Amino acid sequence: MMWVKLAFGGLGRRFVEAIAAAIILAVTSATVASSLMVVEGARRALSQTVHQDRPDIVQVKSRFNRALFETPRSGNLPPVTIPVYEPLIGLAELQAAAGSNLVVKRRSLFRNVVSGDSFLNIYIFGIDPDVERGVSSFSVARGRFLSNDDHAVAVVDQASARALGVDIGGAFPVRKADGEDMQLTVVGILDKLELRGAPPRSAEAPSLNPESTFVSSGAFVNVQTSEEIFGRPALTDALVVARSASDVPDLVTRLQEAFRLEPGIFVAERYSQYQRKVRDFILTLALFSAVSVVTVLLAGSFAASLLHDIYVDRRRQYATLIALGFSPAMGIAPAAAFGLVLGIAAAGVGGFVAGLLVPRSFALPSLMADLGPTEPTLDWLVAGSIVVIAIAAVVIGLVSTSLRLVRQPLATSLSEENS
Amino acid sequence: MSGEPLLCVRSVSKTYRRERAAIGALRHVSLEVGEREFVRLSGPSGSGKTTLLNLIAGLDRPDKGEVVVAGTDIARLPINRASRYRAEQVGIIFQAYNLIPQLTALENVLLPMVALGRANRNRARELLDLVGLGDRSDHIPSQLSGGEQQRVAIARALANDPAIVLADEPTGNLDDQSAQIVMGLLTSAVRERGRTLLLVTHERSMAQAADRSFELRGGILRTRSA
Repeated sequence: MMWVKLAFGGLGRRFVEAIAAAIILAVTSATVASSLMVVEGARRALSQTVHQDRPDIVQVKSRFNRALFETPRSGNLPPVTIPVYEPLIGLAELQAAAGSNLVVKRRSLFRNVVSGDSFLNIYIFGIDPDVERGVSSFSVARGRFLSNDDHAVAVVDQASARALGVDIGGAFPVRKADGEDMQLTVVGILDKLELRGAPPRSAEAPSLNPESTFVSSGAFVNVQTSEEIFGRPALTDALVVARSASDVPDLVTRLQEAFRLEPGIFVAERYSQYQRKVRDFILTLALFSAVSVVTVLLAGSFAASLLHDIYVDRRRQYATLIALGFSPAMGIAPAAAFGLVLGIAAAGVGGFVAGLLVPRSFALPSLMADLGPTEPTLDWLVAGSIVVIAIAAVVIGLVSTSLRLVRQPLATSLSEENS
Repeated sequence: MSGEPLLCVRSVSKTYRRERAAIGALRHVSLEVGEREFVRLSGPSGSGKTTLLNLIAGLDRPDKGEVVVAGTDIARLPINRASRYRAEQVGIIFQAYNLIPQLTALENVLLPMVALGRANRNRARELLDLVGLGDRSDHIPSQLSGGEQQRVAIARALANDPAIVLADEPTGNLDDQSAQIVMGLLTSAVRERGRTLLLVTHERSMAQAADRSFELRGGILRTRSA
């Protein structure tokens, strides 16, 4: 109780200044917290972009031929071969242009499969199982995933499995390019599927995500099997994973050069958009950091000045404690405790107010056009920052009194008049 | 005085520098005080009395010379050791009391004990009883008169049973009646406990009570006959 009185008692007329310092620190904390929350939200959005958009990946895709999507929906018609992309990409040219960067080969097919007495549209993807899992995500609910050694084996998602009426161990026929049917045996059922750079969904087909405008369902086979179905080694699309995102511009140039004479092959990258998002983030960071710094410098220094006055007023009291035998650290402890409690409480209130008032979705189109709306986030980094700022203001307020108590003779501090 | 002195001030000089002027507060002052001795120090304002007490209390450092208490040169003690020395060896009574205004009389007396980690409320109450303030232990300084505050300061100075009590014009701010009470309490309390008292005062009546009297004039210490 005595230490509580030493720290917080006897403020007298300085009580008003203590309250003013606390309010200013709380407002400072709220302003800084709000700014940092926006910056943190933008940082997370950018981080999410890196994770989701993968700016280090370049997509090479063939022409998308809509005319070939006119498929029979019913009737006893023979299955027709309809590619999603036209198979135009020569593997040798692609690998030469990609150099040492990783190539993820794909063949995206669209097949009418005989299902009972009707036809069913099914996407069939020829993939390289090992490398495809590095860029896309597959969740195997039952059975197993593909391997490179498989032949005439497929993994289907739950939507396609239901539509085909097959389960693990079951088979369904797919018409090959040579006119023969290949029976694909199902070895695994997927419950989640996120295919990176999936083709647009423009025909009625099973779908895991009905809202998606991209293909979210299909049968997966390895590239050897898909080549057998297709009857050609050409790829319909491919992903090239650059060793680092900064290599993407050079990689794109090489790929464009390699397929310069192929008007049906397109090279798409997200790196440029990512760079624009980075620029947006830097601008956001600069603006809100400037707001924070100016607030801290003006309001924080004012609060520190008020605290300084309070400490100067109580300097003789701290000197008395040291004169009575307390160590200098213990003599200053009540001052430090008073400042820390005041500062941390103010930071807490400020952070709470910021958490209440800052909108859940923040957009500043003139500044964040490419980054888009962000979700301001009050995390440990923001909370830690405002606490550190509040403590810094307290320390600045206390430093003069502490130095005087330690450096100048105690007799001088004891002879100073209380203001 | 016989045997090894408790306090030995050897050729101590102290000069204060204010702006461009140098003010010599003490000039080659030497003094020896034994255990249980009561020494009175007088002199006009600005003669260096408080400076000498501050040096003995370790609240300031001399420019030259040494201040040895119980074999230790306290002028060379680091700041933490100097605090420890004050807590263990010295009881200080200031002219301006220097009580902590938000603490009760009892808590003010407890402070030196807390500094040593030996808080003892019963002992603090006994000391307040000794100075006649047993019934005012819960009062804060602003609820006490000047004389009562100085009596609390005396109790506080005796809290850790120090070897030396330094009193710097303890009655300087008091009326005659209060001054007499305070002086009586101070001298009897110190005498009863067999402690050394170094008292700065203008009170002529204390000259008879003191074992020895000194006078400081212009920073030079002279023996003064009773």
